Amino acid sequence: MSFPPLSPAPDATQERPHRYHDGRTSTLKISQRERPYPEGRLIVSRTDLNGTITHCNEAFVEISGYTREELIGQPHCVLRHPDIPRAVYEDLWGTLQAGNKWHGYVKNLCKDGSHYWVFATAVPNRRGGQVVGYSSVRREPSRKKIAEAEARYKDMLAAEEGSQ
Amino acid sequence: MNLNVLIAPDFAPEHFAGWHMLNTLMQRKTGLSLRLLTPASASEQAQLIAEDKADIIYANPFDAASMIRDAGYVALARPIDKANEMVIATRAESPVDSFRDLKPGIKVALTDNKDVKLIGLRLLEPADLTEADIDWQVVESYQAAARLAIKGEVDACFMLAEAFNSLSRLTKAQLKPLIESKLADISHVILVHPRIEGEAAKLRDSLVGLAGSADGQPVLDELGIHQGFEAMAVEDAEFMIDLMDTLLE
Repeated sequence: MSFPPLSPAPDATQERPHRYHDGRTSTLKISQRERPYPEGRLIVSRTDLNGTITHCNEAFVEISGYTREELIGQPHCVLRHPDIPRAVYEDLWGTLQAGNKWHGYVKNLCKDGSHYWVFATAVPNRRGGQVVGYSSVRREPSRKKIAEAEARYKDMLAAEEGSQ
Repeated sequence: MNLNVLIAPDFAPEHFAGWHMLNTLMQRKTGLSLRLLTPASASEQAQLIAEDKADIIYANPFDAASMIRDAGYVALARPIDKANEMVIATRAESPVDSFRDLKPGIKVALTDNKDVKLIGLRLLEPADLTEADIDWQVVESYQAAARLAIKGEVDACFMLAEAFNSLSRLTKAQLKPLIESKLADISHVILVHPRIEGEAAKLRDSLVGLAGSADGQPVLDELGIHQGFEAMAVEDAEFMIDLMDTLLE
């Protein structure tokens, strides 16, 4: 698995070790800068069954900081922010693989180390009775919901790190 | 073969003649006998569908989802660059300048259009407003919704962006848009009942061929669908339905 290169902005000075679901680790350079959600828009992407990005809309491309060419064919976990507990992603993929709809609040990592918050809903794409991939559609969350998610995820992260 | 063509009731009234012109033109181009049905309300449309009278339908995306997945309708075409965007507006003099300032207990006027209500509710999520937080005032027309907002009898009105843009200059001047959706991927679609799937290719080709043609373009202009229709593959429709699914609770 190879990711398109991160291109940390000058303010992305915080180094954070990050372990992916496949056991691979990397050190991410991030900032605390939040990108505003594009008002009135949906951020849309689709993946195949392995989580490889097959489609992303313009809003996704713009806010991620990557080009469309950099994103298509990449694993969706390129967006993973180290502040989101692994349990959240495990719940997402477990729910989808069981054939169900998942939703939750997610902080996504941009190419330059900044981030944006979304309320994400992911659904299995069924064609002829078979699941052929997954669609994820993100909407703008309220600040109150973001604050609640941040507090919850902070506790979850602490528990995950404590168990390692 | 006599076929019923049902047009979803949420188009601006100035396009009424355009649908009749399109129906006449499509009859000539396909050799099919087409009877136009223009229900005045969502409930009247639902009744016609329940009576199995929709052979061909220009459906809003919300209805299209169930018609394709539950009733086997086949997507033919959709208008190009004409997504179902919606506007939330308040009266021009309102002290509210952002949808984020709307509070629980507000009154909202809207027509009986599921798409508009659904998308509007999603737009209001950043303001922490849910369906239960709003006092809904369902009215017969989007003009009526605009009037209630202008008179201050409701705090905001929901309507399709196309309807908002078709309001008179005077009416629009008395309204203040708070937010407009930019969803891009969700639009009305033309569907055919599976029993007439054999006519689908002929209908699709005729629709797609209207743009730029001497007899088709004036009709498209009358409908406000200036760029015409594009063919819709099965996967295009399925993708749109998946998107709609993510917007539902």
